[in-house]
Amino acid sequence: MADDLVLDTAIRDWVLIPLSVVMVLIGVLRYFVSKLMRTTQVPDAKVVREGQVVLRARNLRAAANFIPAKSFRSRRVYYGNEENGLLHVPKGQAQNAQAQMLSDPNMAMDMMKKNLSMIIPQTLTFAWVNFFFSGFVAAKIPFPLTQRFRSMLQNGIDLSTVDVSYVSSRSWYFLNLFGLRGLFSLILGEENAMDDTQRMMQMGGFGFDASKSLSAEKDSLDIVQHDWALPRLEQRAEAVLRKLVK
Amino acid sequence: MAANEDSGSFSKTSSESGNDLPIFSAENLQCNLKVIYYSRTFLSIIGGVIAGILGLTGLMGFVVYFLIMALTSLGLAAKAKFSINSYFDYWNRIVFEGFLGGLMSFVLFWTFAYDIVHIF
Repeated sequence: MADDLVLDTAIRDWVLIPLSVVMVLIGVLRYFVSKLMRTTQVPDAKVVREGQVVLRARNLRAAANFIPAKSFRSRRVYYGNEENGLLHVPKGQAQNAQAQMLSDPNMAMDMMKKNLSMIIPQTLTFAWVNFFFSGFVAAKIPFPLTQRFRSMLQNGIDLSTVDVSYVSSRSWYFLNLFGLRGLFSLILGEENAMDDTQRMMQMGGFGFDASKSLSAEKDSLDIVQHDWALPRLEQRAEAVLRKLVK
Repeated sequence: MAANEDSGSFSKTSSESGNDLPIFSAENLQCNLKVIYYSRTFLSIIGGVIAGILGLTGLMGFVVYFLIMALTSLGLAAKAKFSINSYFDYWNRIVFEGFLGGLMSFVLFWTFAYDIVHIF
């Protein structure tokens, strides 16, 4: 076993600490660069309107039990009737989202910028680590692991006799890459964490189709079972008032 | 402890407890979950550094992590004045939210502090 592997303190001072500090600083830099490059595009009025209508319908659905049955029914008709309901999409008017995307080059541009601001620093840092620090045993994780992790933790060292818990510098870079996310969300505020999820949402909603969400909302509004909740609240109000009077 | 750094950012989700209808404000719920996530991350980083400086290895480190997370849950529950259901939709939010996300930070900072202090 190589349990008595002695590491030079110079490795700590010149590999381990600089590598970690650089990873943190690069993360901060990337955050600010992507913040600078972000463009605020003027949203299309129609898209905004449709989004707001969906939101309102969703609110109605969530709070359906707090309004009387008659009010609920009239609102449902207002949103969902077949002639001029807000959620009703006439056939043939549904716009092809893909075509809309192609007609708007800003969208693709924005996405590309975001992706580039992710990829370029990572590639550069990886090249930097490879160039300066290849082949160092930089760290040792304080818990034992099985042989299976060797390729993950000792990337760049081709020795099978070294204990698996020793980590090469290149793998330390990868560990930092994944483990520093929590730190970034602390030091950069929620915006950083939100950025990731937003990017994910954008990926998911690549072909976001407004008319589809409108009709889906209409369907779910149609099947809501109305059950007025407030009659039960009257007794409660009475009890509260009586308690107050006492 | 846990909730000290986020004092005041807890907001009530339900208007009144003791009602048979769950009334939740989604934004406040989200805010509370975020508070949990932040305190979890913060404490897992701090705990990782502490475990590394103490030189814990193997299972002991993970025991420390579980201990810290349990303490966090306790602190959050105390911050919510032990009426968890008026702040969160499920009581186990307080126990499991952000648990795995913190583990990665914990392991990284544990390794970092342990390496700096002990192995060189």
